[in-house]
Amino acid sequence: MAKYIVKRILAMVLTLFIIISISFFAIRLIPGDVLGEGANPELRAAMRARYHLDKPLIEQYVIFIKNFLSFDFGESINLYPRRPVFDVIAEKVPLTLVLNIFSLIITIPTGIACGIAAALKKNTLTDHAISTMVVFNVSVPSFVFASLLQYFLAYKLGWFPILLDLKAPFMSGAQLWSMVLPVLALSFGGIATITRYMRAELFEALSSEYMLLARAKGLTQLQATVRHALRNSFIPLCNVIVPMFMSVLSGSMVVETIFNIPGLGSLMTGSISTSDYYLTIAILFVYSLINLTSVLVVDLSYGIVDPRIRIGGGKTRE
Amino acid sequence: MNEYQKGERILDVQDLELGFNTYAGQVQALRGVSFHLNKGETLAIVGESGSGKSVTIKTVTKLLAPNAVIKGGSITYKGQDILNMTDKQFSQLRGSEISVIFQDPLSSLDPVMKIGKQITETLRIKLKMPREQAKARALELMAAVGIPEPEKRFDEFPFQFSGGMRQRIVIAIALACNPEVLICDEPTTALDVTIQSQILELIGELQRKNDLSVIFITHDLGVVANVADRVCVMYAGKIVETGTVEEIFYDPRHPYTWSLLTSMPSLATSAEDKLTVIPGSLPNMVHPPKGDAFAARNRFAMKIDFEEEPPMFKISDTHYAATWLEHPDAPKIGIPEPLKSRIAAQLAREV
Repeated sequence: MAKYIVKRILAMVLTLFIIISISFFAIRLIPGDVLGEGANPELRAAMRARYHLDKPLIEQYVIFIKNFLSFDFGESINLYPRRPVFDVIAEKVPLTLVLNIFSLIITIPTGIACGIAAALKKNTLTDHAISTMVVFNVSVPSFVFASLLQYFLAYKLGWFPILLDLKAPFMSGAQLWSMVLPVLALSFGGIATITRYMRAELFEALSSEYMLLARAKGLTQLQATVRHALRNSFIPLCNVIVPMFMSVLSGSMVVETIFNIPGLGSLMTGSISTSDYYLTIAILFVYSLINLTSVLVVDLSYGIVDPRIRIGGGKTRE
Repeated sequence: MNEYQKGERILDVQDLELGFNTYAGQVQALRGVSFHLNKGETLAIVGESGSGKSVTIKTVTKLLAPNAVIKGGSITYKGQDILNMTDKQFSQLRGSEISVIFQDPLSSLDPVMKIGKQITETLRIKLKMPREQAKARALELMAAVGIPEPEKRFDEFPFQFSGGMRQRIVIAIALACNPEVLICDEPTTALDVTIQSQILELIGELQRKNDLSVIFITHDLGVVANVADRVCVMYAGKIVETGTVEEIFYDPRHPYTWSLLTSMPSLATSAEDKLTVIPGSLPNMVHPPKGDAFAARNRFAMKIDFEEEPPMFKISDTHYAATWLEHPDAPKIGIPEPLKSRIAAQLAREV
């Protein structure tokens, strides 16, 4: 197992290296001057020297990688001049984290409940209603949901503030109230994904041979479902739920921009549009790290939840 | 507890009629099935695939698919009407009085639950047995069904067991609550021949020890000859002949039973011999044919077979057959040739 984890981590490091290399060059392809027009020539020259922009691209890359390996990730150029990029990122994380955690608290139980209801009542009105909702939620993009919520609930009905309330203190009642719409907009897609998985897995489990045996043992339909079918259908659900937990750190660019939330997502869009090279690369690095780690955690958690892999795995691997 | 004496009728199924609703129409799966089970005996139900054996069992244990419709008949267990019980009421009987073993031991255990827990589950839930006592009982059961080192195996998972071992566990689960009736639905079809005979021996041994009444579903006549006291032959949702095992094997009356027996290879069958097959296949049960359902495949069919269903003709107190050949006016055909000589040879060997 340890050998396997080490192998996976090495592969992850390599992947991350490739990602930051590609993003280093790709971001230079964006047209426009980092330093802005009209600044005076001396200042420009000083800035170019500070950020090594006067050297050839390859040399810049070598310097960048060297610094990166010594955990010097560079400074923000335009958005937050001279501040180390990870300080900027760390400042943005709490708000994104709060929004995403609220969204998860809604998403997971709702998704599981809808999935169970649909599987137990398969091919009835309940199932059809839930399945229609799933198709709708999966296919309508989140910015459409966000805009619709904003337009109807905030603008037309005036129930909620249109944008996130930033004047109110962090986590105050007023601010939490203004978080309702973005949290809802963040949740729809996740609910649909979990519902779809849960329905399929539970339905399969319900028609399995071990359910027949559980019933033959004398368990009622309810007991057999809870003790055997649900347990079994939760295992593949790890595949979707674990990445959701991991991704609470990464903000949604679309939803954060629409509701004017100064989180990681809007920092990302901001840094790209101002050609803030090092900040963009650092955010991409954080996002990639989160995603790669969650894939690894999913694979490992499978081994923890499923005894067939936990105990049986050792025999088959190498 | 055992107010029922050996040989008394413990389970009685009368005129059971059942259909499955499908898009193509209603499949007439059972068309008036009647049989009974006596305390302490083994009743075998035989027939080809699709004849309604498993459906009969699932009706008796109330484990039918939701599209099944019971159209008539009655099932009585120790004087209680099973058919009209709710799922909750019957859950009290299922597993504790009437237990079932299904065909596929490889997939019938919960893959993510420890073996021990699967055995103790019913003891804990239904008999409210304390944990330690339930574990002791489970270890006892595992030893009884021939699992070596039960202490160690108790905490293992199904995938760590072989097919034969899994079927032993399934049997242990079925016996956990000391049932009176054990129903085995082709318990050995998924296993290889050596394991098969071990499992059959095990069931027989447990039956003698616990005074079980056993219903044995199979399409393997060799198994029937070994384990059964009485036999029901099923065809197209009906029992066409029933009798003691001697009556069915040495004095079969129904042409379908003849065909079944003839198509079974015997010790005298050499590798060059072609096995006899029954021509055709089961009729479409959405629209069951008029008359005797077997008539189209029966080379002894008479005109009346295509017009009217034969009633059960009594041959002896235990032996009945549903064929017009038993009618007093019917021509006396007798058992057809290859089978007749085979039975004679068999009888000669046994004397």
